[in-house]
Amino acid sequence: MSSDFQEQSGAVQVRGGLTHRQKTLLNVAALLCCLGILALFSRYGSEYHVRILNNMAIFITLAVSYNLVNGVCGILHLGPNAFVAIGAYTSALLTLSPSEKQINFIINDLIWPLSIVQVPFALSLVAAGIMAALFAFIISFPVFRVRGDYLAIVTFGFGEVVRVLCNAAQSITNGPLGLKNLEPYTNLWWSWGIAILTIVSITKLINSSYGRAMKAIREDETAARAMGIDPFRQLLLAFLISAFFSGIAGGLLAHLITTISPTLFMFTLTFNLLIIIVVGGLGSTTGAVIGAILFAWGGEALRIVENPMDIGIITIPGIPGMRMVVFSLILMLVIIFAGHGIFGRNEFSWEMLARICLRGGKRVGSP
Amino acid sequence: MSFFEMRHVIVQFGGLCAVCDFSIALSAGQLVGLIGPNGAGKTTVFNTITGFITPDEGDIFWQGENIRAYPAHRVTASGIARTFQNIRLFADMTVLENVMVSFHYSIQSDFLHAMVGSPKYRRVEAEIREKSRRYLYELGLGHLSSEKAATLAYGQQRRLEIARALATGPKLLLLDEPAAGMNPIETIELAALIRLIRDKYGVTVFLIEHDMKFVMGLCERIKVLDYGKSIAEGTPTEIQKDIKVIKAYLGSGYYAAG
Repeated sequence: MSSDFQEQSGAVQVRGGLTHRQKTLLNVAALLCCLGILALFSRYGSEYHVRILNNMAIFITLAVSYNLVNGVCGILHLGPNAFVAIGAYTSALLTLSPSEKQINFIINDLIWPLSIVQVPFALSLVAAGIMAALFAFIISFPVFRVRGDYLAIVTFGFGEVVRVLCNAAQSITNGPLGLKNLEPYTNLWWSWGIAILTIVSITKLINSSYGRAMKAIREDETAARAMGIDPFRQLLLAFLISAFFSGIAGGLLAHLITTISPTLFMFTLTFNLLIIIVVGGLGSTTGAVIGAILFAWGGEALRIVENPMDIGIITIPGIPGMRMVVFSLILMLVIIFAGHGIFGRNEFSWEMLARICLRGGKRVGSP
Repeated sequence: MSFFEMRHVIVQFGGLCAVCDFSIALSAGQLVGLIGPNGAGKTTVFNTITGFITPDEGDIFWQGENIRAYPAHRVTASGIARTFQNIRLFADMTVLENVMVSFHYSIQSDFLHAMVGSPKYRRVEAEIREKSRRYLYELGLGHLSSEKAATLAYGQQRRLEIARALATGPKLLLLDEPAAGMNPIETIELAALIRLIRDKYGVTVFLIEHDMKFVMGLCERIKVLDYGKSIAEGTPTEIQKDIKVIKAYLGSGYYAAG
């Protein structure tokens, strides 16, 4: 029985194509390729392009970690803006120099230990992640008592609570004035480094036993419980990891735009992330990455529709906001023609790429 | 101390007594059937054992522990697995993944190892994969391991549910209507499979079934439930002759007329 089964599984592996080693090689090659492109951009790219790339990386980090909760666990969580806000404020308060803090806080003074500390950027990012995860841990008890629409409402509520707190807790966040003059630490290496770290570690988690347990909860929570899975523990794990990476992304965002205020972390941020992962394909990390890239790049590329245009005899004057109209049209088209998003629940794999290339090659070769 | 025992269990849904003063004792290695008319409370008994419902009164003893208040996942971890009346597979996952899920509760590696893909974790994963494949081959599903569970034929889905429950390593296996919707040949195969599982894995099997031929042929002891109350218990031949059972199934008028 056993040897028979060994042979069969061996045969499947050969037919499947690539060995583990080949895949690792390809992954390393792809990573080096990415780093090469980044090096080129950081040396020769214009400030505008670098800015878009940084934005892209931050949105990738956010979308991939958001997808872990919404797509993989199947939980409609609507409060990632809270995690981003907490991460951004934590990291900003930790990197600002004491003198800058004094200039920033003109109405109320910053409370004591925060007013004198200053730590390196890397450490502040770790703190940002931990603070966001801590917040996630505290809210997880009420949040995971409910499911479905109720959970959506509860998380949405906590998202708003954090924004309101940012406005009100003036001696910590400086209220509506926000924090200004942050050092622009975020560069391509930081943002893409974190993005790649997020993608790799979350993908590994999803493909592990933990990921399977999360998917099982998404597919059928009752059956998952009958298989010995404690839904609370698994959902909490996903929630904490998601919050951790979102917090770090918040820290990166703060040091990219160098000025943060509560308006930055409104529900629109959550809404954008939701669009990204739905368009990319709920439950697919590849989809989240593609969605984030399209969102960050598309948002800029679509600026041309706001310029005055000459189409033959008609002249369209430049309409500000036209970009959003076109954007929503594209969104509707994606949902109509690809109901489950661009990638559905599929993931990128080298085999898939090979299949597409081979099929394309055949089509070109055949008469 | 018995292997498994329920003592005076009462479950009430509002004013309705779904399970009224139910007691049963199982000894290791037995094949026991639970029968009764529709709505008799059979599935409620299963839900109570597996921790989906906490009984209002009564105790459930399992290997020396009172598990009445255990949540479902803890009951499974303690060695009681179940299948469902209406099949509940993880539809969008592959057949192999469905079985692999069952090993998660006993995993000996924390999530950080999984996130960095450490050699230690990879070993655990390979082990889970191989054990899961074994269960699939055992139940004749080996050739389907990379198919999505939703695409399986009905009989295969039932088998996959059993494979998944077995993979949690139970000592007591609860099967809720395993033969429902199967044709006569599939039913005969299933009976053989359940015997094989009992003999090979040494599990005690407790099952609910409406197919009387199946239950009478397979089970060594049968418990009959009607309106939440236990009305008879005994060997298949005893049950077939029991007046109360005939009344419950066919109505008292039939008995009077007959």
